[in-house]
Amino acid sequence: MEVKENKDVLLTGIKVLDLADEKASFCPKLLADMGASVIKVERPGGDPSRDIGPFWKNSPHPEKSLFFQYNNANKRGITLDLEKGLGREIFLKLVNKTDIVVETFPPGYLKDLGLGFEALSEVNPRLILLSVTGFGKDGPRSKYKSCDLVASAFGGSLCVSGSSSTPPLKPFGEQSHYTASLFGAIAILLALRKRTQSGKGEHIDISMQEAVASTLDHVMVRYFYDRVIPERQGSLHWDSSFCISPCKDGYLLLTLFQQWETLIELMDSEDMAEDLVEESWRDEEYRLRHADHIIEVLERWTKTHTTDELFKLGQLMRFPWAPVQSPREVLESPHLKARNFFVDMDYPQIGTSIKCPGSPYKFSSGFLNRRKRAPLIGEDNISVYRNELGLSDEELQRLSSMHVI
Amino acid sequence: MNKGVLNGLRVLDFTWMLAGPYATRILADFGAEVIKVQCSKTARGAESDLTGYFNTWNRNKRGITLDMSYPEAREIALKLTAKSDVVIENFSPRVMSNWGLEYENLKEVKRDLIMVSISAMGQTGPWRDFVAYGPTIQALSGLTYLTSFSQNPPMGLGYSYSDVIAGLYAALAVLAALEYRDRTGKGQYVDISEYEAMCTLMGPAILDAYLNNNEILPKGNDADHIPAAPYGCYRCLGMDRWCVIAVFNEAEWQALSNVMGHPSWSTDEKFSSLSKRKAYADELDELLGQWTGRYTSEELVSLLQETGVPAGVVQNAEDIAKDPQLRARDYFMKLEHPALGMVTSDASPIKFSDSVTADWKAAPLLGEDNRYVYMELLGMTESELSSYIEKGVIG
Repeated sequence: MEVKENKDVLLTGIKVLDLADEKASFCPKLLADMGASVIKVERPGGDPSRDIGPFWKNSPHPEKSLFFQYNNANKRGITLDLEKGLGREIFLKLVNKTDIVVETFPPGYLKDLGLGFEALSEVNPRLILLSVTGFGKDGPRSKYKSCDLVASAFGGSLCVSGSSSTPPLKPFGEQSHYTASLFGAIAILLALRKRTQSGKGEHIDISMQEAVASTLDHVMVRYFYDRVIPERQGSLHWDSSFCISPCKDGYLLLTLFQQWETLIELMDSEDMAEDLVEESWRDEEYRLRHADHIIEVLERWTKTHTTDELFKLGQLMRFPWAPVQSPREVLESPHLKARNFFVDMDYPQIGTSIKCPGSPYKFSSGFLNRRKRAPLIGEDNISVYRNELGLSDEELQRLSSMHVI
Repeated sequence: MNKGVLNGLRVLDFTWMLAGPYATRILADFGAEVIKVQCSKTARGAESDLTGYFNTWNRNKRGITLDMSYPEAREIALKLTAKSDVVIENFSPRVMSNWGLEYENLKEVKRDLIMVSISAMGQTGPWRDFVAYGPTIQALSGLTYLTSFSQNPPMGLGYSYSDVIAGLYAALAVLAALEYRDRTGKGQYVDISEYEAMCTLMGPAILDAYLNNNEILPKGNDADHIPAAPYGCYRCLGMDRWCVIAVFNEAEWQALSNVMGHPSWSTDEKFSSLSKRKAYADELDELLGQWTGRYTSEELVSLLQETGVPAGVVQNAEDIAKDPQLRARDYFMKLEHPALGMVTSDASPIKFSDSVTADWKAAPLLGEDNRYVYMELLGMTESELSSYIEKGVIG
C-alpha cells in the first residue's frame, strides 16, 4: 500500500530501512509519523514481534497483533532473508538507496553476515546505522540477552517501583523499548545534521539499559548528591508529595502538603478535617514526619466522594490531582477527544477503521496526523523489489521459491 | 556550549522543573547554545542553581536572569528571540501570553523561529489549564493503573517518568522542525502535551481497550501478552535483593533447567511447553523462587546468562553507579561545579563515534552569563546593564 507522498512534511525524503523487532520498532514509527519513508524488512514468515499481544479478539495470529499494529503503523513492509547470500545482495542494493538502517540484532550478528557498519558504509558512505541492543555493542555484558524485563531491572526502573511488601515492579508495557526508541530517533536526527556537515554517515549504538537509567528522574541524582539509595514506597511519591487514595468509585492521586490551608478548609467545610485543623499541622516539618496520619484522614474524606468530584474540585482550587484512569477511561477522555488525539486508522483485516493514539505534538506546519495500518507480511514486496529496485517478475519468482523473500 | 553537532544553534530556554530542562539538556549536550532564562525571585527548589537536581538537568547551558514582571523585560526577551533559532518553554499555557511572548509576537522579530511549548495538557482543550506534575500525568494516562499488582490499590512508578518522556518528545520535535526549516525556510510553533506524550507509550493497551471488550487489569510483573514463561521477578539471597528471569523458548527453558540441575518438578508434564508454563505460571514462579533464593542475584544472573537465559539483576542506585558495564561504556561523567565541587551524572545514552565530553560544563550559576548575553550578544553598554540590574529587570 503506497503512502501518498507529500513534499511539505517534516521528514520528507528521508528513507529508513527498519530491521528492528520489538526493541526498537517504535523508533522508525516515530520517523514515519513525521513523514519519513520507512520500509519494514521482516524475515520470511514475519517478524517475531508479531507474536506479542494483545491480539484482536484475543486470538494470537501474526496479522492480528495490536502491539505490532501500533508500533509499525505508517510503514511499508517487505520480507527478506539476510541469512541467504542472495538476500544479502538485495539488502545491499536497498542500503544503497537509503539514509538510515535501524536494527536490533545481537551485537556482532550483522558483522558476521558481512553486513557490519564498515561493509554497509562501503556501499553507502552516507548511511546512518542505528543499533539498539540490551547493553550496547561493547563492555563486559554486551553478549547478555535482554528484553524489557531485563533492561528495566539492570537499568533501575524496577528497584523504585512497587512497595516494601511486594517484589520490585516493572513499569507496564515495554517502556524500555519505547525509551530506547525515543533516544534512537533523536540520535538519528542529530546524525542527519552531522551528515550534512561532514558528508559521512554514523554508527549509533544505543543501550536499552542506559536508556532506562536515563529516565529515572530523582533516583541517580539523590545517590550522587546525598548518597541516598531510593527504595520502593508503594504509591507514596519519593518526596511524599503525592499519594493515591480510594474514593467511592476508584482511586485518586492527590497531594499531601501543597496549599495546606486550602486543603484543610475544603475538608473542614465537610467536617472531615479531624485533628488536622490543629495548629501543630501548620508546620511543614511536622506534616512530613506524620505523613501517615495525614494519609489516613485524607482517605476517610476521599472515600465520601467520587473521583470525578474530587478531580474537578481539586483542579478548581489548582491542586494537581487526578483520577487513576484505566485505558478505557483514557479512550473516553473528553480532553483527548477535543484535541483530536485519536486518529482513525483503516484496519481491513477486521473490516473497519479504528481509533489509534496519535502524536503528542501539534506542529503548525509540515505534519499530517494520520495513520496507515501496519503492513501485512511481505505486503510491499512487489512495489519495492520490482518498482524501486527494478527486479523482474522472473527474479521475484525465483527469490520467492528460494524463500529469500 | 561545546563543539557538538548543534554548534551554531541558539536556543532561548524558558523551561523549568524537569520536562523542559531535560529537552534543552539534550540540545546543549550536542553543542547548541542554550540560554536559560531565570529570575532570582523564582529560582528556588528545582530551580535553585546550588542543588544537584538543577545541576544535573541544566549542564552545558548558559544562564541569565530576567524578571518578566517588568515591561522592559519583554523588549529584552524580544531582542534575544531575534537572535535565536529556537524558543522553548514549559509554563502553564497562559504564562507566555501574559508576558506578550506568544508565537505570534515572537515570529514578528524572527520570521523562521521555531517555538516549542510543552505543557501538561497542551495549549487547547477543556483541561488546558489543569495543574499537573509527572505523577498526575502518569495517573491520567493509564500507566499508574497498569503498573500495579492489582486494582486495589494501584501503585505506579516511583519517579516522574512522564516528564522525561515529554522532554524527549520535545527534543525530537525541535530537531524535526529544524530539518523542515532548513529545507523549506519555514519556522513554526509546536504544541506538546505531556498527557498525550505518555498516552503514546500506552498504545497497544489503548487499542486493546478500543477493539476488544476486555476489562484490562493490572498484572504486576506477569508476562501477560509476552510469549514467555517463566517471566518475573524472584527473590535472591541478601536483604531485599532480587533478580528477573524471562524464558522465551524451549532452548532457554532447557538451559534454565540445566543450571537448576534438573529438579524433578522441571520435567513435570504441566511445564512441558511454553503455553503450559504460561497456564501454570503461578506454580512455576513459586518453585523457581525457592531455587533463586539460594543464590545472590549477581551470581545467579551470571550463571543464567552464560548459558543463554535472559536474566537480570534488579539494580538499585548504588548498583547502577558502580555497574561495570555502564563504567566500561563511560555512561557516567564528572563535572566540576564552582560551589558543589566535582560531581557525577549520567553522560548521554546517545554516543557518536567522535563524541567527546571533555568540553562539557556544569550548570550555570544564577545569572552567570548576563555579561556575555546582554553585552556581547545584545550590545548593551556597561551602564545600560547596571541600570537594568539596579531596577531589578535583570535580576
